[in-house]
Amino acid sequence: MNQGAENGAIDRFQDPPRGIRVKSPWLRNLLTFFMVLGPGLIVMEADNDAGAVSTYTQAGGQYGLHLLWLMFLLLPVCYFIQEMVVRLGIATGKGHAAMIYERFGKWWGRFSLFDLLLVNFLTLVTEFAAISLATQQMGINPYFSVPIAAVLLVCHVLSGSYKRWERITCILCLLDITWFVMACFSHPSPSSVLGYAFVPNVPPGGITPNLVFVVIAIVGTTIAPWQLFFQQSCVADKRLRFADLKWARLDTLFGACFTVMVAGAMIIVGNVSHQHGLTYEDPAKMADAILPFTNGFVRNAILLMFCNAAVLGTTAISLSSAWAWSETRGWKHSLSMSFKDAPGFYSIYGICTLLAASIVLIPGAPLQLIILGVQVLAGIILPSAIIFLQLLLNDHKLLGDRWVNRRWNNVVNWTIIVVLFALSLILAAQVMVPSLFPSNS
Amino acid sequence: MQTEQLTSKDELEYYLVVHPLDDVPEQKLKSDHLAPMEMTSSVRWSLVALRLYLILMMGLFMYHVCDLAGQVVMKR
Repeated sequence: MNQGAENGAIDRFQDPPRGIRVKSPWLRNLLTFFMVLGPGLIVMEADNDAGAVSTYTQAGGQYGLHLLWLMFLLLPVCYFIQEMVVRLGIATGKGHAAMIYERFGKWWGRFSLFDLLLVNFLTLVTEFAAISLATQQMGINPYFSVPIAAVLLVCHVLSGSYKRWERITCILCLLDITWFVMACFSHPSPSSVLGYAFVPNVPPGGITPNLVFVVIAIVGTTIAPWQLFFQQSCVADKRLRFADLKWARLDTLFGACFTVMVAGAMIIVGNVSHQHGLTYEDPAKMADAILPFTNGFVRNAILLMFCNAAVLGTTAISLSSAWAWSETRGWKHSLSMSFKDAPGFYSIYGICTLLAASIVLIPGAPLQLIILGVQVLAGIILPSAIIFLQLLLNDHKLLGDRWVNRRWNNVVNWTIIVVLFALSLILAAQVMVPSLFPSNS
Repeated sequence: MQTEQLTSKDELEYYLVVHPLDDVPEQKLKSDHLAPMEMTSSVRWSLVALRLYLILMMGLFMYHVCDLAGQVVMKR
């Protein structure tokens, strides 16, 4: 046990750290929250990546507003899973991959790391495929836009300043407010939106294999394996303190609420396609298809936000790979370090990003196979990563009594884990053995 | 602690709010000296369930590969 570890014997009155002096306790709390804000918002919003935009707009395009209630249901799931990661990160100051290595041994450590790196890399390819698709629809040659995006994404982390990276990424996250504007332009009935958001219902046509697939895809999109690794490493890199826990929880809750509302807005935008009986293909094609029923702003905003989602997803996913790999290898790994100080960490980030971008530019690259691989691998890694997280949060020797899960935490989390196991298994079976299920209606 | 209640000479109270990265690093819970996690019944059963799940997933994957290979042979 590590009792009293937080009594770090910091005599700061002799050499006070840089800070802002305020008189009001209310202002102190607000400022502290803004200083802690970041990892929770970024991890949640980056999860609304290109794949998520496709899934949510597809849900709206095929089923209208009928699946909005799922987002409301997924809000606590997102929060409870990520809250455990925050607690573990603040208590140990280490990333998730490092903790699995330390507490479960090399076999499970290598398994988790390999699986994470593989699924992350394949997801990165899909992010760049989305950038290619959206920019092509805007009339920009992908052979120009994709390499430019990849280079900018590498430059984004190379400044050697965590704060700068976080500020820019938070701004990119907040740009997703545009989805609310787009949702307003699609003129949904407020009463319908509220009704579908809070009252569970099954779309007309009943429970079909396609509906099951879309529902599982929404769940899988909302909770991704890389999020666990990313937020814990991010919390450790930001050096959040024990006293920051409540603000980090609030950051995570704020991020979860914002993300779920943005996802809801995407479903509302996709609903325009459903209302007019259009066939849904992908977000870029949908942007053009619904143009006669909306306006030019919505069309351009969908394409730009599709790119923004891919950019956010790329930076977060590449960082989770770089952090995880560097932690387990014992390399220096911090966004506050320069390339010279942490060459391995930045090289992993750069290699993942540039390689994924170059695969997209190969003519005839098997993108469909890659998307299938992402779905299957995510199904494998998500339950295992969450199991490790749950076991770590019950490790009294590691965390002591103060930081371990309470009984109600365990009841909630084991319920979530069992449901995720079942959904992941159904998704994997549906993708790999479609003959087990009746044909899609 | 990121905030500290300070008192200046004229007895005016204020709080110092410090960004985590500008603060003195805190000593975190140490885990380097710990042995691997103890295999209690809940840990053991969780890992057994995980292994079974992974074996099932691998089985599904192998079936999918064989199925695809069979389709290729049929086309030829």
